[in-house]
Amino acid sequence: MNKLKKSLALIATLAIASTAFVACGDDSSSTGDSSSKTDSSSKADDSSSKAEGSEIKFGDDGDVLSVLCWTADDIGKMIEFWDTNNAEQAGKVKYVNVGSKGQEAREGYVNYFNGDEDVDLFVVEADWILEYINNDTFSAPMSDLGFADSAFDDQYAYTKAVATDSNGVIKASSWQATPGAYVYNVDLAKEHLGVNTPEEMQEKVKDWDTFTATAKELAPKGIAMADTLGGMWQVWQYNRSQAWLDADNKLQVDEFCTEYANLAKEYYDNGYVTKEAQWTDGWATIGTQGKTMGYFFCTWCLGANAQLEKSKGDYTWNITAGPSSYAWGGSWLAVSPECDNGQLAHDFVEMFTVNPETMKEYALFKGEFVNNPTVMKEIVDEGSNKNDLLGGQDQFAVLYEAASKIDMDGKITAYDAQIKDAFNNSVDKLVKGEFADVDTMINEFKKECAKIEGISVE
Amino acid sequence: MATAAQRRIKSVSYAKYGYIFTAPFFIVYCIFMLWPLIQTFQLAFYDNGVFEPLKNAEFVGFDNFKAILFGDSNEFSQAAVIHEEFLSTMKNTIIIWVGNFIPQIILSLVLAVWFTDLRVKIPGKQFFKVVMYMPNIITAASVAGLFLSLFGDSQYSVINQLYLSGGEGREQLMLATGVWSSRIIVMFIQVWMWFGNTMIMLMSGIMSINTSIYEACEIDGANSRQTFWRITLPLLKSMMVYTLLTSMIGGLQMFDIPYMFHTGAVINDNIKTVAVFIYELFHKNYMKPSSGYSAAASVILFFITGILGALVFYVQRDKDAIEIKRKRKAAMKEAKRKQAMGGGLGL
Repeated sequence: MNKLKKSLALIATLAIASTAFVACGDDSSSTGDSSSKTDSSSKADDSSSKAEGSEIKFGDDGDVLSVLCWTADDIGKMIEFWDTNNAEQAGKVKYVNVGSKGQEAREGYVNYFNGDEDVDLFVVEADWILEYINNDTFSAPMSDLGFADSAFDDQYAYTKAVATDSNGVIKASSWQATPGAYVYNVDLAKEHLGVNTPEEMQEKVKDWDTFTATAKELAPKGIAMADTLGGMWQVWQYNRSQAWLDADNKLQVDEFCTEYANLAKEYYDNGYVTKEAQWTDGWATIGTQGKTMGYFFCTWCLGANAQLEKSKGDYTWNITAGPSSYAWGGSWLAVSPECDNGQLAHDFVEMFTVNPETMKEYALFKGEFVNNPTVMKEIVDEGSNKNDLLGGQDQFAVLYEAASKIDMDGKITAYDAQIKDAFNNSVDKLVKGEFADVDTMINEFKKECAKIEGISVE
Repeated sequence: MATAAQRRIKSVSYAKYGYIFTAPFFIVYCIFMLWPLIQTFQLAFYDNGVFEPLKNAEFVGFDNFKAILFGDSNEFSQAAVIHEEFLSTMKNTIIIWVGNFIPQIILSLVLAVWFTDLRVKIPGKQFFKVVMYMPNIITAASVAGLFLSLFGDSQYSVINQLYLSGGEGREQLMLATGVWSSRIIVMFIQVWMWFGNTMIMLMSGIMSINTSIYEACEIDGANSRQTFWRITLPLLKSMMVYTLLTSMIGGLQMFDIPYMFHTGAVINDNIKTVAVFIYELFHKNYMKPSSGYSAAASVILFFITGILGALVFYVQRDKDAIEIKRKRKAAMKEAKRKQAMGGGLGL
C-alpha cells in the first residue's frame, strides 16, 4: 500500500515536472545549424535531376501547404481563389498567422522557424526581405521549387531584382506590383477647387510645387492636401536617388534628408498635411470627415476592406497619378528549406506569380495589381476593370503608368526597416518642435542609426 | 512492545514528500529563472551583433560595460550612442518612478487610514476597496490602449475633441508625445493602476496594529492627527519599507506601459525606461541583436537595484532596537566578565 502511494506520488511529481520541458522539445532539426542542412540538401541533389530549376527538390509528405503571413488580406483571398480554381486540391492550403503587422512577422518568423511547426511558404516585405533571402537557413532558392530563372521574366523587373539575393540567386517571387497614386475626394475638389475630372485634378497636383500651391489654397478652409506625413514619406522615400547604405554599410545622409525634413515641417506647420498618424483610427477618420483632400494610396489600399473603403465615408473618390510616381511596400512569397509540399508550393507560386492566365483572373477577382506588365496592359486595354470604391474608375489605368517607372534595383538594403523608422521618428520630433532645427534632427537621426548593429555612421 | 507495523510507520519520514512536492517549482525555477540569469551574466561579456551569441560570439571582457558606463569620444560611435541612451533612459526611469511613487504612497496611505479608522463610518467601504483595486486587474495593454484613446495625439482622441470643441482656431494637443505630458500621463497610469494594491498592503499593516492602542489613545484624548503621526505611522514602518522596496524594484524594471504607450512603430523616447531600452537592444535587430550591451545593461540594473535595496534597509533599520540589542550584548558581556572574575559574586 505504501509502495503504491509512494510510486503514485513519484509519478504525479514527474508528470508535473515533465510539463516544464514540453516547450523545450527537440530543436536539433531547427536552429541555425546550417552545415547539417546543406548536407541534407546536397543529398537531395544527388537523387534529383541535374537540370537546374526544372525539378522540384522538396518532398510531398506534408498534409497541407502552410503559408505564413501577418495578415489574411492577401493569403485569404488567394486561398479562396485556389479553392475555386483548383477543386481537387481545395482545402490543401492553410494560412498561418504570425504577428499582426509586417514588423511583428519579421521577428516572429525566426521564432516560428526555430520551432517544429510546419512551414512551406512565407511572405516577406520589401523593407526586410533581404534579411531572409540572404540567409540560407531561412529560405531556399526558387529553382528548388522547379522554376528556372526565366520563369520570372514576365514579372516586373524590379520585383525580380529585389528578390535576388547577394549571390544572384532568385529566392522569392511576388504576386503583385505596388505602384501608388493620389486618391482624392471628388466632392471636396469640386466645391473648393472647381475640379471636375481626374485630368483637371492632376493639373493641380502635377508636381510638388503645384501640390504645395494647391495646399496653400485649401489650408484656410481646414482641409489638408495630404493625408499624413507617413503617406508623403512613401512618395518621397521612393524617389530617393540612392540606397540608405553604401557598399560598406555606411549610412548615406544626403540633401534628400534635409529637403524632406524641411518640406515636412512646412506642411505640418501650415496644415498642408493633417497631424494624424498612419495606421491609427484617425487616419481613416480624416477621410470620412472631409479633413483631407486626398490620400497617397497604392494598389493594396484600394481593394475590399482596405484603407480606401475605411476612409471613404459618404464622399466620392477618384484616383490620379499625383506629384510623382512611387511604389509602396510589396510582398514576396519565399520558400522555406523545410518545405514538405514541393508540388503544392510550386503550384501555388505558379498560380499567383508565374502563370499569366490565372494571374489575370486573380487580378479581376481581387482587384490585385498582379506582377505581370503584359497582363495588366491587357486588363487596362480591355477596360473591363471597374472599381466601385472609386466610382467605377479603373485604378489600373492610372497605376499601370506608375508601375512602369518603378525601379528599386540597388536601392534597398537589409537595414531599411530600421533606418526608415529612425528617420521618420526624427522627422516626427522635428515637426512637433522637440528639435530646434533640421541640423539637430539629422544629428539625432545619425545617432539613432549608429545604434544599429552592423552599420557605421560618420 | 511495538509491533512490526508500528515500527515501520515510525520509520517513515514524511519530510521527503515535502521535497518531492516542491521539486517541480525548483526545477521550473532553475530552468526558467536561474539559468537565464546566469546566461545573462555570461552574455554581458560577449560581443554584439551575432545571431546566437553564446555559440558564435567572441569574448570581449568588460568592453560592453565600459561602453554603457563611459561611452566613447566619437559622437557617432555605437558605444557613445548606447551610453547616452542608457543615461537618458535611466533618467526617465527615475523621474517616472519618483513621480508615481510619491503621489501613490500619499494617496494609498490616506485611503488606508480612512478605511481602517474606527471612528470614520464610510458607507459601501467594501465596494470602494474593490473599485480601487480594479485597475490593477486590467492588463497593461488594455490600459495603454485606453489612455491612448483618451490622450492620444490624434484630433479624434477624447481630450483633443473636448479641447478642439472649446473654441475656434485651436491646435490639437500632442499629449502622448510631449516630453512632460507623456511622462505625467505614464506616472498617472502607474499611480492609478497601483494605488489600490498599495492601499490594501498598508491596510493590512494598519489592521495588524493592536486596536487596544487606538482605544487607549482615544481615552487619553488624542485627536486623529496625533493618532496618525504618533501611532499609525511609526507602527506601520516595516510595511512602508516593504512597499518602498517592492515599488522601487518594480519601478526600476518598469516596462509595460512605457513600452506600449505610443502609436506607430517607434517608442516614445521621453518615457523610454531602462527595461524598454534593454528589450529593444536585443529585439529590434533580431538577426544581429546587441545582446552584449543588452545583457550588460541588465547586469548593471541588477546591481543598482541590489545596492538601492540594501541602502533602503540600512537607512530604515530600527535604530532603537539595534541600540537595545547592542546594550544588552554589552551588558551580557560585562556580566560574563564579572562572573569569570568574581566567581559569581558581584561585589
